[in-house]
Amino acid sequence: MQFEKEVEILAPREKVWNFIWDVDRFIACVPGCKEAKTIEAGKLYAATMTEKVGPFRVEFPTTIEVLEREEFTHVKAQASGADNKIGSRMKLSLDVNLREQGDKTVLAFVAGVDILGKLAALGHSIIKRKADQVLDEFARAVKQRLEGDS
Amino acid sequence: MLRRFRLEEPESVKEVSELLGRFGEAARVYAGGTELLLAMKEGLVQYERLINVKNIKGLNEVTLDKDTIRIGALCTHHQLENAPLLHQNLAALVKLEQNVANVRVRQVGTFGGNICFAEPHADPGTLLMALGAQMIAERSTSKREIPAVDFFVDAYETCLEADEVLTEIRVPVPADKSGVAYLKFGYLERPSVGVAVALRVDAGGKSIQDATIAVGCAGPAPKRVPEAEALLKGGSVDEAKANLSKAGEIAGGASQAISDLHGSQEYKEHIVGVLLKRAFGSALSQC
Amino acid sequence: MSKAMLRRADAQTIPISFTLNGRLQEIAVEPHELLLDVVRERLGMTGAKRSCDVQVCGACTLLVDGRPVSACTTLAFEVRDRSVMTIEGLADDNGKLHPLQEAFIAHGGFQCGFCTPGMILAAKALLDENPSPTEDELKHFMHGNICRCTGYKKIIESIMAAAKLMRESRA
Repeated sequence: MQFEKEVEILAPREKVWNFIWDVDRFIACVPGCKEAKTIEAGKLYAATMTEKVGPFRVEFPTTIEVLEREEFTHVKAQASGADNKIGSRMKLSLDVNLREQGDKTVLAFVAGVDILGKLAALGHSIIKRKADQVLDEFARAVKQRLEGDS
Repeated sequence: MLRRFRLEEPESVKEVSELLGRFGEAARVYAGGTELLLAMKEGLVQYERLINVKNIKGLNEVTLDKDTIRIGALCTHHQLENAPLLHQNLAALVKLEQNVANVRVRQVGTFGGNICFAEPHADPGTLLMALGAQMIAERSTSKREIPAVDFFVDAYETCLEADEVLTEIRVPVPADKSGVAYLKFGYLERPSVGVAVALRVDAGGKSIQDATIAVGCAGPAPKRVPEAEALLKGGSVDEAKANLSKAGEIAGGASQAISDLHGSQEYKEHIVGVLLKRAFGSALSQC
Repeated sequence: MSKAMLRRADAQTIPISFTLNGRLQEIAVEPHELLLDVVRERLGMTGAKRSCDVQVCGACTLLVDGRPVSACTTLAFEVRDRSVMTIEGLADDNGKLHPLQEAFIAHGGFQCGFCTPGMILAAKALLDENPSPTEDELKHFMHGNICRCTGYKKIIESIMAAAKLMRESRA
């Protein structure tokens, strides 16, 4: 599954870029994501992703690896996690681009999400819808955090 | 194999509510189990306790109470497809029940269980919304009526509180000069799309006094579509017919369909429009 | 080590009694045990098959109080105080086959036979409920029993033939 999102943030590009690497605050923008840890600054991070659909819950201990980085403009990362209780794995690829637009910064990202294992039994549309929701909320939260700061 | 769980067998709704209050998410109401046990077998959920509600008396009857049809939450689909009261008053519900899953699921699966599990592809919610049904939810100390239109919150999620038990579904006996139809695209096939239309016309049969439209199965939960209803009611039958395409477009948009393995969003929305036209025709012919 | 010994000492067990093909059974089951496993593993009736395991295919069909259920998704304790029929119980005590069984043989209603126990039991429930089904009624009732071999034509013929025989022998 692929998703493309764009959000306009009333903040300078540098600020948005720095926010991305402020791992705790950045991870906090992903709904259901907690316990963010830096394993190797700039390269490797860990977090726990939790989601729920009705009575179905997943908890993916996730490792996030930074693949590419161009200062202030582009970062590419991939994440993977497994919930052994539910016999499911999650793979996420994230391609983030920042561009200036007047006094705003446009944060654009392409996310590839794959859910493997039993969770897929819930149905493609449920997972797709949920992933879409999570990414929307994520984009909104990033905007709010950045614009909320003085 | 299922994981081990403890079985509770209360004999009153109050007891069920207390158990749910005490054990929270570690316990779940178990009736027919046709959906719950599958989710448990898949390992998607696990519970320490299952609360067997089938020993509670009085929850599996279909009765007529003045101008309300009362359906006990524990009525099986098999019971409902054969209930004389429903054959006389709610043929659309009989047809829906006849087509649930297969004969074995209909034998043990309950109406209330289907409604509470709130599986997105399920049918009852959509029709119950168009019928203006009320859900009766009870807990230890209180009871409340929830309109069907407010009951289904999201995929697999209803508005029931953790310790609430659905005990009854109440459907107003359809008025004279009214009709209702529920059409589903491809039972046991995909994409899954369901549309319910209920109409009431005036004594002369020339104008539409009331119209309710509900769409389901394509999105996470069924919903009413007031914007489309507005195009069909309050005017003449001919005016309503002329507005059917537009109403279908609006209903399609309201269905929350998304493109996925089962079909494109456009295709699903198109099917909503087609089913709306046909359900309208069917409901009108009953008036 | 037998399954009985593997039960935990503190496990909740439910004593149940029911008739299996006319014979009284008294066993204790744990709440999570599935009817299909009890019938196959503990009671030796292997006619019912675990096939899809999600109550779609009908290969695990059993009759409980004469009505068809998916044994793969039925908790065993649910048959307490009821009658259970498996395919092994369809022939009479002298081994004379039920008209449905005779008809399936005479009309080629099975090939590999995997779906057949469930198919025949479902057909029995149909004919007990409706001794003269139309083909549409038959198809609707049997909709939940899937066959990969026959293409269903012979199954329909077999059931209709059995229905006719059963009506005539009652007359």
